[in-house]
Amino acid sequence: MSGLILSGVSKTFGNTRAVEPTDLTFAKGQLTALLGPSGCGKTTLLRMIAGLENPTRGQIKLGDDDITDLPAHKRKFGMVFQSFALFPHYTVRENVAYSLIIGGMPKPTALEKAESLLATVQLNGFGDRRVGELSGGQRQRVAIARALAQEPQVFLLDEPMSALDAKLREDMQVELRLLQQRLGITTIVVTHDQREAMTMADTIVVMSNGRVEQVAPPQEIYHRPTNAFVADFIGKANFFDGLYKSGGVMIGSQALETPANFAPDSPVRLAIRPESACLAREPGQNRIPAVVGFVRDLGPVREYHLTTDIGPIIVEYAAGSDEQKLTAGDKTLVHLPADALRVYPRTAA
Amino acid sequence: MTVAEDIDVAADSPAKATRGLTRKGALYGVLSALMVVFCVVPFILVIVISFGRKVEGAAWVWGFSFENYQRFFVGTLWPDEVTFLYLQQLGYSFYFAIIASVLAVLTALPFTLLLTRLKRSTQAIWLVFILSSLSMSEVFIVMGWDILLSNNSGLPKLFQVTGTTQWLKDVGWFQSLRDIGLANPRNVKFKPSEFATILTMSYLVWPYAVILLYPALSRLDPSLSEAARTMGASRWTVTRTVTLPSIRLPLMGTTLLLFVFLLGSYVTISVFATPDKQTTAVAIYSNIRGSNLNAPFGSAQAVILLISASICLYFGHLLNRKAEAR
Repeated sequence: MSGLILSGVSKTFGNTRAVEPTDLTFAKGQLTALLGPSGCGKTTLLRMIAGLENPTRGQIKLGDDDITDLPAHKRKFGMVFQSFALFPHYTVRENVAYSLIIGGMPKPTALEKAESLLATVQLNGFGDRRVGELSGGQRQRVAIARALAQEPQVFLLDEPMSALDAKLREDMQVELRLLQQRLGITTIVVTHDQREAMTMADTIVVMSNGRVEQVAPPQEIYHRPTNAFVADFIGKANFFDGLYKSGGVMIGSQALETPANFAPDSPVRLAIRPESACLAREPGQNRIPAVVGFVRDLGPVREYHLTTDIGPIIVEYAAGSDEQKLTAGDKTLVHLPADALRVYPRTAA
Repeated sequence: MTVAEDIDVAADSPAKATRGLTRKGALYGVLSALMVVFCVVPFILVIVISFGRKVEGAAWVWGFSFENYQRFFVGTLWPDEVTFLYLQQLGYSFYFAIIASVLAVLTALPFTLLLTRLKRSTQAIWLVFILSSLSMSEVFIVMGWDILLSNNSGLPKLFQVTGTTQWLKDVGWFQSLRDIGLANPRNVKFKPSEFATILTMSYLVWPYAVILLYPALSRLDPSLSEAARTMGASRWTVTRTVTLPSIRLPLMGTTLLLFVFLLGSYVTISVFATPDKQTTAVAIYSNIRGSNLNAPFGSAQAVILLISASICLYFGHLLNRKAEAR
């Protein structure tokens, strides 16, 4: 079976197009992250996959089966909700056993299986507790165990970490990824946290304004973003607007060489990651005079916030690098290597 | 401010504080007195009068006798003869109140669930409409239903004119209606009947049911039922296993509140119930203000009705606690 396939799936609420026609393939056994800012349509897309929303147009196929009109309760995709949606009137064990019991499994067997699922998510001995007695992380584990109880073909998670504190979130990201790899379930995670997506996903789908901007593995998304939105949304980047001239880009009076090829005088946007730029001592190609605004030492990395003629630039060094040690007010040169510069067409908007 | 003035102010402060406290105390005293006069005194009066005695051909006199309570439970002729007329009336009070409150809650529940899924602005319009319907008095509502169900101008007439009565006869359902007292040999007849009584009582408290259920249902997390659906639960299973258990407490609370409210229903019973199915509330009125003029017995009935309602509320509370503990 070849996973989950969306063909031209779109969703409109009244006059608002929440999801533009979208074609996506979620490979079997892989973890895909739907990543984008709030309101970009990622949750709506996930809900259409779960059967909780009907697509306005398009087709959803699971392997060879068209499941577009199949109601949610017949799809039986395990889903973890942002609020976890645990049933407060049941114990932890009953929550996990819910899908098994309503599916007709004898209650003692279902409760026994629930106990082993709780062990899978490291919650042995929590079965008799009420949901209200659990911490955020424990609730999330219960929600995961409950969604996995019915052995779903597709596992959906809607912002599963958003209710957790930063430390716990990091731990759970790794834990969830390990669990997914162990079980080999096709998994789709909705998140607005690029770090979460980078940690967990085999493939990242970056969305904006209801549209898919890029689909690629995390490293490719980071190093080769297909447009300025992706470059801006994933990680940090320095941006400059200019006009394309043969062999380079003019930003004001400053010419920067790039390997890109555009029609002459096309408005373009340049992007460069802070760690791809560097400080320089000698003048040369793509080296611009700069003044250090301030130095931000974050421990693992050190950032130089520079002022230049083409705009502010941040240069980032890993701790232990032997860069020039500058302080605020120092004059220097910043080098923007041509092969590290990404050039995107710039629309009027 | 000079130093001398400072000293004056400091000397004045304790006196001012004492005056403030006295004023506050006086205010609380007045409020407490008002509470006692308007809430506790009438209640105690009813209890005290219930031990009094009716003087035949005259009014009643103070006293301390359990005669009225004895009359309520075993009749006046006890121990020679035992009658349960008043207990039966209490039974009908419970019967009508239970069925009508349950019916109101059962019908208000799906409506309120749908209401909470509407747009906020639409919800507001509905809620204002429902709240405004609460301003109608019981008399006004009963009058409306009286006309609607009356044999000459209401639904029975409409049934006859539209041929529905004839159709009911043709399909053989008319006899079934006659068997349950909802038809005479010629046409359907809705009053007096249990049907009309319960229907009107339910209608009377239906807006209360919606208003009482609305907060709980609007707080109900929709992701709970969605989670159940993704786990293979059909809509009915979701209702049975998720929605109803989640709102169990407000559901029971609303039913109990409506039940207690309906225990005292007077106009509806007077108009729609058959004479053999009159309730304690009607009997209380006829004893205190009506033909009997037996205030002590009416008061005893009122006290018994109150105690019965309190017992029901207590058991409801116990059930709630038990449900919560589960």
